[in-house]
Amino acid sequence: MKRIALGLALAAGMATNVAAAPITINLARFFGACENAGTDTHTTVGEACIIQSIINAANEKIPGVKINTLPTDWGNYYDHIKAMFAASNPPDIFVIHRSALPEFASIGALADVGPDLKSVGIDTSDWTAGAKKAVTYGKHIYAVPMDFHANLWHVNMDIMKKAGLVKDGKPILPHSPAELLAQAKQVKEKTGKDYLAADFSQFPIGVRLVLSLIWQQNSNIFNGHKATIDTPQALNAVEAITQLFKGGYADPKLNYADSQQAFLNGKAAVLVNGDWVVGDFTNQVKKPDVALKHYYVSTFPQLFQSPATWADNHTWAIPASLKKHDPKKYHAALEVAAFIYNHNLDWARTGHMSVRKSVLNSSAYKALPHRSEYIDTPSIAKDVPRTVHYNKIQDVLNRNLQSIWLTGKDPKKALAEAQSEVQDILDQ
Amino acid sequence: MTARQRSYIWLCIGLSIPAFVWLLPTLWMVSLSFQPNGVLARTTASTALGLVPVPFTAANYAKLFAFGETPRWFFNSLVVAVGMTLGVLVVSTTAGYALARLEFRFKKTVMIFILLGLMVPEQAVFLPLYTMFADLRWHNSYGALMLPRIAVPIGVFLMMQFFKAIPKDIEEAARIDGVGPFRIFWHIMLPLARPAMMTLAILTFLYAWNDYLWPLVSASQKTMFTITLGLASMQSNFAQSEGLGRVMASGVIASLPVVILFLIFQRYVVQAMTVGGSKG
Amino acid sequence: MSGTIRHRPRRRIADRHVAWVFLTPFLIVYVAFLVYPFFKGLWISLHHWNLLAVAMNPDAAKWVGLRNYTHLMWGRGIVWGPLSHPLVQLFALAVAVGAGLLHRAGRTNRSFMITLIVAGALVFFLLGFTPGEGGRWFDRRFWPTVGNTILFVALAAPGTTIAALLLAAALNRETKMMAVFRSIFFLSQVLSVTVVTLIWQIMFSPTQGLIANVTRIFGGSPISWLTDERFAMIAIVITTIWWSLGIAMILFLAGMQDISAEIYEAAALDNARGWKAFWYITLPNLKRTITLVVVLQIILHFQVFGQSHLMTQGGPDDRTQVLVRYIYQTAFRDSEIGRAAAMAMFLFVIMAVFSALQFFIAREGEE
Repeated sequence: MKRIALGLALAAGMATNVAAAPITINLARFFGACENAGTDTHTTVGEACIIQSIINAANEKIPGVKINTLPTDWGNYYDHIKAMFAASNPPDIFVIHRSALPEFASIGALADVGPDLKSVGIDTSDWTAGAKKAVTYGKHIYAVPMDFHANLWHVNMDIMKKAGLVKDGKPILPHSPAELLAQAKQVKEKTGKDYLAADFSQFPIGVRLVLSLIWQQNSNIFNGHKATIDTPQALNAVEAITQLFKGGYADPKLNYADSQQAFLNGKAAVLVNGDWVVGDFTNQVKKPDVALKHYYVSTFPQLFQSPATWADNHTWAIPASLKKHDPKKYHAALEVAAFIYNHNLDWARTGHMSVRKSVLNSSAYKALPHRSEYIDTPSIAKDVPRTVHYNKIQDVLNRNLQSIWLTGKDPKKALAEAQSEVQDILDQ
Repeated sequence: MTARQRSYIWLCIGLSIPAFVWLLPTLWMVSLSFQPNGVLARTTASTALGLVPVPFTAANYAKLFAFGETPRWFFNSLVVAVGMTLGVLVVSTTAGYALARLEFRFKKTVMIFILLGLMVPEQAVFLPLYTMFADLRWHNSYGALMLPRIAVPIGVFLMMQFFKAIPKDIEEAARIDGVGPFRIFWHIMLPLARPAMMTLAILTFLYAWNDYLWPLVSASQKTMFTITLGLASMQSNFAQSEGLGRVMASGVIASLPVVILFLIFQRYVVQAMTVGGSKG
Repeated sequence: MSGTIRHRPRRRIADRHVAWVFLTPFLIVYVAFLVYPFFKGLWISLHHWNLLAVAMNPDAAKWVGLRNYTHLMWGRGIVWGPLSHPLVQLFALAVAVGAGLLHRAGRTNRSFMITLIVAGALVFFLLGFTPGEGGRWFDRRFWPTVGNTILFVALAAPGTTIAALLLAAALNRETKMMAVFRSIFFLSQVLSVTVVTLIWQIMFSPTQGLIANVTRIFGGSPISWLTDERFAMIAIVITTIWWSLGIAMILFLAGMQDISAEIYEAAALDNARGWKAFWYITLPNLKRTITLVVVLQIILHFQVFGQSHLMTQGGPDDRTQVLVRYIYQTAFRDSEIGRAAAMAMFLFVIMAVFSALQFFIAREGEE
């Protein structure tokens, strides 16, 4: 109706800019679907519903902007984004990981938003150093950061207590691979439960685990244009994990959903997964039929020389074509990004960490459930060197690690093969 | 006689076991779709291994229609499947008739040209099709979802075979009476071809409803998803935020039209599959 | 008489024009959406063609000739030996020889025998290639992926065929009960691949699955079907058989209807009933249908995508990675549409061979 009325007004030559037609912004994200999220950003739970409530609120509160949310499935997310770019029909704003940003930025697909951030009230000096690095490629800023997320150890305190691995209300976590094995054994013997659960079979949680352990030995998987996976450090990292499988203290065959289920059902003492489940788990624990009763979150333990954990950022990018051809819409998309950015505290309820110093230092942020338990995680975040091939390399690692864990391949052989596969990618 | 009856009864009993096993997965899906998500998160085996929906709820379906994208996807599937079916019927009956009943130069060449197309699987052309529609900025439209699938030589082939089998004299008589070729086609041939068209329509509808790869690459906007594609997107949601019961309810809804179609037109469906299978 | 003479010349002209009018709608969509894309695919496969880069800048496609093909199929320091993969090679040789012998015994028809011999010899020859000392394939995943696809076909096609054949033999009776059974076994055929994978993903889940629930009752520990290397392929094969058994069964039933009741009655007098009748009468008379069903299943299953993409994501360790999924990934995850198009051409060649085979078998039977 609004459109028709506007059309009539235009036809009658009475149009001024009193009621500009609403600009429709196509927004692409994953995080899952949430219907009926409402517009109250303070009460929603879980990634899907929190982000959707923020988007709904933006839709309602930004004048003259309508937001249309695009696909939400994770499995094909980047395939879809690429397909949309290739069809010259990219979303007007979309979530992108820090790790995936170079692939898009390097071919000029993303708008340089740096100079325009002030116009929507985003002050980059409030960003953490890591966040600034995450959205910068070359000399330009290509996205607005939303969060910092990392792998954590999610702990079932009841199992730990029964195994005698609690001290001062905190879980006792290992400081070396040998200690890891000993504690796993202790848990099995005293409780009959698995020590650790994680998705080692599909989604690359296992890869991130191994990467963390490689970084803890001050090594990395490639260096400039040289792949360095066939190293003693990588072997140490892999074996720290495989010893758990061999001992029967963890099951490499669990996938994402199954590992999560196993933890919630009280079948494993520790779940290794991202911080994004913290908010959801906190909520699950309150339900009477969930076996997990006492939930604790811990920073990734240090098993080798230095602390490290896998981490990434979710950021919001806008296509370069929009900035070039449709400045009005571009500005509207930026406003959406700013709106989401301003709800950083709401988003942090998922379990993700804030990228804004002002939020990080606020008492409201610090008071979020379990937050204090992993407050030092940002300081130990490490990463692979920046590359446009991140997703491909991760896939190589995932397949080759699976071959060790699930098909019994000799670790040295698998690492050698991963190294030469990654070298092929770097040589392209 | 009694021995034969007895062996028949034994056969029925013997077959009911595999038949039950065969039906189990489907029954289970239906049963899960009627159970509360909260319960399913804990166990899928509440009553009789989860095969009986106790505790019972219809909330999954209610929510499905109240908020989700499912009605929209369902509608898209309907549009695409019906549109594609009509499209295939139009181009296949006309071309099939021309090849079967009309004489013209290069007929053999045209026939071979079309038959060669039977060798090209969709997977061999979906990438160039993707870039073509991308260049035309035509993705995320009903046209993009339908058009590539209308160009299937199998339909022409089936209709041609059918028209060839119709006795010539009916047509001849009409011609002698001075009836024009278009009217012959419309008033005489098409009514005769109804069973073959039914077969082709069912084949196409099923194919369209169940197509996955092409919609996966062509429809990147959620509003243009088909129900088949939408269901895939719910599966790969690793957050599983929607709950098992909800996803299962979507599965049931997505299957309903084809199952109903099958139950009503079982004879035709079976015949369609037989013809499509042995000739395609 | 005079009337027809007057009409004929006019009609002839009309016929010609009418034919083209009737053909045009189909030919337009056919050329636009099948013929042209096919050749464009060939064209793309001869380029280094990055999906994103070309979208940003059309000049980014670079002619590389056959390099995409060599990159996929060839490697450095490849050598040939008759015993590079001794087991499979010898098996292929045995199949080729066996097919020849079977034909002599009159158990197969000609096209099928020739195919088996050619296929056996081809496998024997192709598998002889292997990277020599210090050598390697340029693309390590391509041939294993082809191998997985063939393994999938080799399990799913005979599995479906045998199960369907046995069921059809049992159900080949015109009673109400049998009609109900037929409907039950056929029902899953009409479901879409996403519904099928949805059902079976949950069926196979070690924590929530029906199979796991049953296993637990008997005190066993559940199998992680989809992530265990021993079971992942089996799991998607089971799914596929469940899904695609209906059509094979129906084709067999149609074939069995054509065998006259008299033959069975005559055989019954010779005391050939049940299994004996099946073995000595049904099977030989169904030769053509069996061949047709096998070829049809091969064509169908070679194009497998959804089961692997949705249920196992090609894992564990690429054990269930199949050709179409590799094409999809190469094109849309890695943006290398040139290389993906080359793979699609490879798939086309294989499909074309089997389609031609199917066509000839179907014709052979009609003559």
